[in-house]
Amino acid sequence: MGERIKIDLLEMVEYGGCSAKISPKELEEILKYLPLPKDPNILVDIDTHDDAGVYRVNDDLALVLTTDFFPPVCSDPYEFGQIAAANSISDVYAMGGEPVLALNIMMFPSSRLPMEAYAGIMQGGYDMATEAGVRIIGGHTIDDFPPKYGLAVVGYIHPGKIITNAGVRPGESLILTKPIGTGVILAGQRLKMVSDHDVDEVLKLMKLLNKSGAEVMRKHHIKGATDITGFGLAGHALKMAKASMVSININMRDVPVIGKTYQLIDDGCIPGASFRNLDYAEKDIYFSSDLDYNLKMLAFDAQTSGGLLFSAPDAHVNKILDDLHDAGLVNSSVIGHVSELKEKFIYMNN
Amino acid sequence: MRIIDTKGQLCPAPLISAKKALKETISGESFILLTDNQTSFDNLSRFLKDNKTDFHVSESEGIWSLKVTRTDGNVNQMRAEEYCTSNISHFQKGDFIVVISSDKMGEGDDQLGHLLIANFIKALKDLDKLPHKIVFYNSGVRLVTVNSSVIDQLRDLEKMGVELILCSTCIDHYSLGSVLGAGTISNMYTIAEVMASARNIVRP
Repeated sequence: MGERIKIDLLEMVEYGGCSAKISPKELEEILKYLPLPKDPNILVDIDTHDDAGVYRVNDDLALVLTTDFFPPVCSDPYEFGQIAAANSISDVYAMGGEPVLALNIMMFPSSRLPMEAYAGIMQGGYDMATEAGVRIIGGHTIDDFPPKYGLAVVGYIHPGKIITNAGVRPGESLILTKPIGTGVILAGQRLKMVSDHDVDEVLKLMKLLNKSGAEVMRKHHIKGATDITGFGLAGHALKMAKASMVSININMRDVPVIGKTYQLIDDGCIPGASFRNLDYAEKDIYFSSDLDYNLKMLAFDAQTSGGLLFSAPDAHVNKILDDLHDAGLVNSSVIGHVSELKEKFIYMNN
Repeated sequence: MRIIDTKGQLCPAPLISAKKALKETISGESFILLTDNQTSFDNLSRFLKDNKTDFHVSESEGIWSLKVTRTDGNVNQMRAEEYCTSNISHFQKGDFIVVISSDKMGEGDDQLGHLLIANFIKALKDLDKLPHKIVFYNSGVRLVTVNSSVIDQLRDLEKMGVELILCSTCIDHYSLGSVLGAGTISNMYTIAEVMASARNIVRP
């Protein structure tokens, strides 16, 4: 009987974690030269900076299609599978859709990791998909190092009830459903600057599906929303502002944060992705002259499986917050408001 | 001149070294940062620029050397302890309150007892979960006066959202009314109610 090997997926990924996503600036350059297909049934494409595409099947049904995968963000294979699946499915929720089917996407170094790790990742993905009501009906694996995992997801949506980046209206308030700081805490974890408590909190948040948040959005007929992932709060808010042609004012002190994120940033623990996100977005952002530097960098922290960001008419905000809090999204807060388009797309204050 | 070598380190480790050095440097003083990674160099440059330092770069054989001088430039930054708002608890609270009934901790030498209680209060701030409230009575109220060695820490805890409750009878008895540095004065009914309704009570 061999001893059970302790698997640590984080040993597989490059220290620093700065390299998982291509710079949004470079991506935009490349996508400019790829013509978008023309088809009246394509209801949402990359043009509105949304993360999922929507295709009309008939007057009552459209399909939401999205995919996402990334290298490990935690040590345990099962938890990594859960997080990657929750993150992949999130884009469907952000569009107001109901996720239905998925395919596994797996890159796995079979010569460097035991097959138990493979099984663990798949099981985590399967369990999270089941929690979301999604059936995984296939997938594809290639041998590759480091490991990467995610899902390609299909969801249903009514063609008249799509929630997009372009649906945000002046005068509305901006609500965020999960605290931010996963990038900072995970970077701090690698440098052993973080307590187990904060790491547990981050894992819990990354595994939390945006399902209940999406149900609240649907109940209140929300039109404009996105989920916060790799481009950070500021990057995703910017995509919304551009798609909706509005200005978004963010009050950083109202933004809920995870545990000791602020102190970590104050100690210089700012992941590389934050600088890439800042570089991409800053030309469209007005930073108030007294803006706290640490709060500014927090706004660009890349999130894994982050919360929903959506706008709602002021009159409904209290009811919506009550519903979100009742649904267990206890950190949900109003973090800003939307105005007519001014000189810049984003106005960031303390 | 002090040299901080971050060669072989990837972000954010070099930034953490740079920030630490900046905090330890006085205005006008300089130090040298070394890095051998392009991304780390780019991020360090941006970070040093945003932190309003003067810096000069030289590069040879793939190693960047940044001579950093701290200026008087004012960077907008709060102390981490001051970062909290009234409606959102950024600092998590645990399911407990702390009751401090003496200005000493434990039985034995008084001088040691004073030192221990001061260290205990300093340690509270670093707990993963803060107490909801701290109750001070009898000689414990002496810790909350302006001359106390832990008054700064107690003020920080208050800013982090921890309520400090002081026994009014005790303040009168020791004539400390004019030298209090933090907290809210309360009567014994409030203290009894706070203690009776607490899920857990920690007594140093």
